[in-house]
Amino acid sequence: MSNNSSTTAPDADVSTVWHTTIDDAPVALSAQDDLVAVAGAEGMVSVLDTATGTRIDALEVPGGLLHLELAPDGRHLAATGPTGYALWRRENGQMATFHTGAWSSVARWADRERVAVASGRRAVVLAADGRELWRTEPAASTVTDLAWMRGGRRLAVAAYGAVRCHERHQTAPVTTYPYIGSHLALAVAPTERWICSGNQDASIHIWRTRDGDELTMSGYREKVSRLAFDDTGFWLAADGAPDVTVWDFSGKGPAGTAPRSLRCHESITALAWRPGGGGHLASGGDDGTVALWRATAGRPEGRLRPARTLDGDAAVAALSWVGPHLLIAAHRDGTVRAHHLPSRTAL
Amino acid sequence: MTQATAAAVDGRVPVTVLTGFLGSGKTTLLNRILTEQHGLRIAVIENEFGEVGIDDALVLDAEEEIFEMNNGCICCTVRGDLIRILGALMRRREKFDHILIETTGLADPAPVAQTFFMDDEIAAQLRLDAIVTLVDSAHVLQHLDEVKPEGVENEAVEQIAFADRVVLNKTDLADEATVSEVISRIRAINASVQIIPAEHAKVDLQQVMDVGAFDLDRVLKDDPQFLTETEHQHDSTVTSVGIDLPGELDEDRLNRWLGNLLRTKGADIFRSKGILAIAGAPKQYVFQGVHMLLDGEFGRDWDDREPRGNKLVFIGRNLDRTALERDFAACLATTGATA
Repeated sequence: MSNNSSTTAPDADVSTVWHTTIDDAPVALSAQDDLVAVAGAEGMVSVLDTATGTRIDALEVPGGLLHLELAPDGRHLAATGPTGYALWRRENGQMATFHTGAWSSVARWADRERVAVASGRRAVVLAADGRELWRTEPAASTVTDLAWMRGGRRLAVAAYGAVRCHERHQTAPVTTYPYIGSHLALAVAPTERWICSGNQDASIHIWRTRDGDELTMSGYREKVSRLAFDDTGFWLAADGAPDVTVWDFSGKGPAGTAPRSLRCHESITALAWRPGGGGHLASGGDDGTVALWRATAGRPEGRLRPARTLDGDAAVAALSWVGPHLLIAAHRDGTVRAHHLPSRTAL
Repeated sequence: MTQATAAAVDGRVPVTVLTGFLGSGKTTLLNRILTEQHGLRIAVIENEFGEVGIDDALVLDAEEEIFEMNNGCICCTVRGDLIRILGALMRRREKFDHILIETTGLADPAPVAQTFFMDDEIAAQLRLDAIVTLVDSAHVLQHLDEVKPEGVENEAVEQIAFADRVVLNKTDLADEATVSEVISRIRAINASVQIIPAEHAKVDLQQVMDVGAFDLDRVLKDDPQFLTETEHQHDSTVTSVGIDLPGELDEDRLNRWLGNLLRTKGADIFRSKGILAIAGAPKQYVFQGVHMLLDGEFGRDWDDREPRGNKLVFIGRNLDRTALERDFAACLATTGATA
């Protein structure tokens, strides 16, 4: 049943609790308490039971899918795709589909009542029942990513040329953080001191929220399309190279510092920090490997080896933690696995 | 049969880019490709709302989004919409044999081509097969002659300059004199391009699909005659310069010259291709470029009986033939000081 292996001595046994296969190529994953939701590229939403992997619901969104996110209370789910978006309600298993014809890259819940959905060049904020509350004015290009700030009172919208922050119900941005380039991923530190974007020009662009002071981390080999802050907001993990880079955002931030390099994959396809701020990171590669890291160990500029690797047959499509003990991995061949990590401090 | 060779060495999915003015017949050609019994699974990305709707094909609409990068370099201009859509397409389980991109009539082909050089995710899985430009025989001359304001490109000229294949469509609607005038105008801009005359976009699909025009091995194979000087009856600022020079090149001098040329003149050089003989190298050096981006590698071995020589072509604006010929000749290993 367990098909994991380790490259270094494990601290405790990691076991595969369950695995299942969905009939689509997974592109995104969201987990919340007792639910795991998987989005498939061709439009299948699979809702699974976290404890067993049993399928609770399966729905089809015409036009395919790019992303999905469960509400914090797990009672609703927003799924987005190339031609619109959809909202699922757990209570009755109903899915409301909004075929807008516009590219919806991502959905982000502000709280259990409100979700922001990228829709073409705008962000649209919806109530959990699908009612539109407000929308932003169009950005310069298709919106690529969204992030909530100030406890759901401010919405950061990434698109070509800038990250724009909107206060609730205000179509025009209250703050614009400009940078010429295609911003592919957005990460706001939980401290809200930093706004970071991963860029097509193979760099990470960083703004200090307080005064808009800028910093560019260039020199990546490829575009940076995945960024993730840990729970403390002190550590940012990024793709853009075979090595995962981990930047130290504590104190004055990463200016003038060098990142830790995490060497395992040829091409990074997923990043997920373990909840709890212990510096544990999970990463996935296109060779199917899931790597677990003590990502903040050692010194800056250091090159780290994984604490453990878990093998998979197909490229990792997405990773998501359900609390600190359960890591869900979705692979491109449709396999979804739940890995159990018994110790909170060990990997 | 020749098609199989390109595909065999490269597992990436070929992508054909269809350009041409509104009314030139892009949609007609697209429908023709989709309805033909070729057994291929095709995905189409449309930048213009067309009448395409075929059961076996996946048709995706997109709005052109041109992205410049912070460094302001023209070669870093890419098409964000294509990166996004092609990225999503490649994540699907269903595999496509071919992808067609239909651009708008006013599209600049450079960012489309550069996307395939600049984005690693795309370059790893897809290969730009050819840029196919459709031309309306009866109306193209007026588009080519249109005077644009300072700094604005004539899109019709650009689309011909970038083309690997020109489908000379609607030949039935133009008289013979016009057609021959159109051909000579196309040749003046892009001497090496293969011109395919057609009525109602009726072309042999083998001539436009999976032709491997961007394959380095096949560079210059299409038409060995292209290097012959064409008559320039028209004062066209976009022209081709072909150079055919026997001998072997000094690699250092060549790199310095080509690197400097593309760095300083890359904005004006739309396309470049060549097969070169490097002194001391048993293999042919093959390259292909779009503006400042260059892709080059060693190709096949030189045949013993084959005289070593160099063939290259530049297509671009305000090309200085004399300077190009002189500076290229200075790269010959047998001339100048041997470093």
